[in-house]
Amino acid sequence: MLRSERFSRTSEETEIHMTATATADPGGHSVAHALPPDEYFGSATPGKIGMWIFLLSDAFSFGGLLLAYGILRGGADVWRHPGEPALGIPFTAFLTFWLICSSVTMVLAVAAATEGNRKQTILFLGLTALGGIGFLTGQFHEYFGLTPGHGLTHEGLIFGHSAYASTFYVTTSFHGAHVLTGTIYILVTLARTVAGKTNANDIEVLGLFWHFVDLIWILVFTFIYLL
Amino acid sequence: MAEHGHVNRKSYLIVFGVLAVLTILEILVALPSMGVPQGPKVVALIAMALSKASLVGLFFMHLKYEMRALKLTVALPFLFPALYAVILIGEAGWRLIR
Repeated sequence: MLRSERFSRTSEETEIHMTATATADPGGHSVAHALPPDEYFGSATPGKIGMWIFLLSDAFSFGGLLLAYGILRGGADVWRHPGEPALGIPFTAFLTFWLICSSVTMVLAVAAATEGNRKQTILFLGLTALGGIGFLTGQFHEYFGLTPGHGLTHEGLIFGHSAYASTFYVTTSFHGAHVLTGTIYILVTLARTVAGKTNANDIEVLGLFWHFVDLIWILVFTFIYLL
Repeated sequence: MAEHGHVNRKSYLIVFGVLAVLTILEILVALPSMGVPQGPKVVALIAMALSKASLVGLFFMHLKYEMRALKLTVALPFLFPALYAVILIGEAGWRLIR
């Protein structure tokens, strides 16, 4: 299906839109960058603007969680109760660095896609997916422990027992769900790239989502772990 | 895939370096053994986190190179949650100490 059909607006606009993007490449998919520049949004495609709007709404979801955390913590006499473990800063700092590295491989995938280098795009998308899988493994280890007896759930940080425990699990698992979604999104895009069904715009929109997941983690790491 | 010329990767690597250095600084400031007083610690950590998040948004997400309308669409709505945060968290803290 042509991209122009998916993002059609009024019939008049659609006509102009389709004229602008009617050129399909030999792979049979449209070239999104053929859109005429918009007065306000330049060459940003509808898909890209749509992703930005979605990320904005998603940021407010995280904002709500962090705000609830701030209010509960700001008004608490005692935040971490006796018997509850402290959060491990060195291990999570490593996860933070790991996720930043995966953002770099993603930005390199976008650069390669922009240059039309499919081999490099596939390589860097693969590395970014490994970054996502690694982060999820790390988070599983933090919660439940990869070896018996380890993990916060075994050390006394129980969901529902305190605001400290509950805000921690709700915020970090909501972020973890984003990493999982992002990893699946990367793997699907990777398969589509191998099959020659993506263009540079598809990789750029995927990149926006992945960098957002990294950006949110930077804030979660500071507010939940470091403060 | 459409070809669109060479992309300069230098700024990505510089941003990566700055993010790595800021992460190390954050840990140094946050570790209890470093003995940084609570007030300066909170201000420094929030400033560093917002700087890191801005770097990711501006360079990795290319917001720096977008047109003004998209920049404003993305950035302006954050003024409201920032305002709520100051009022609501401040209020919770004030009730605790009054």
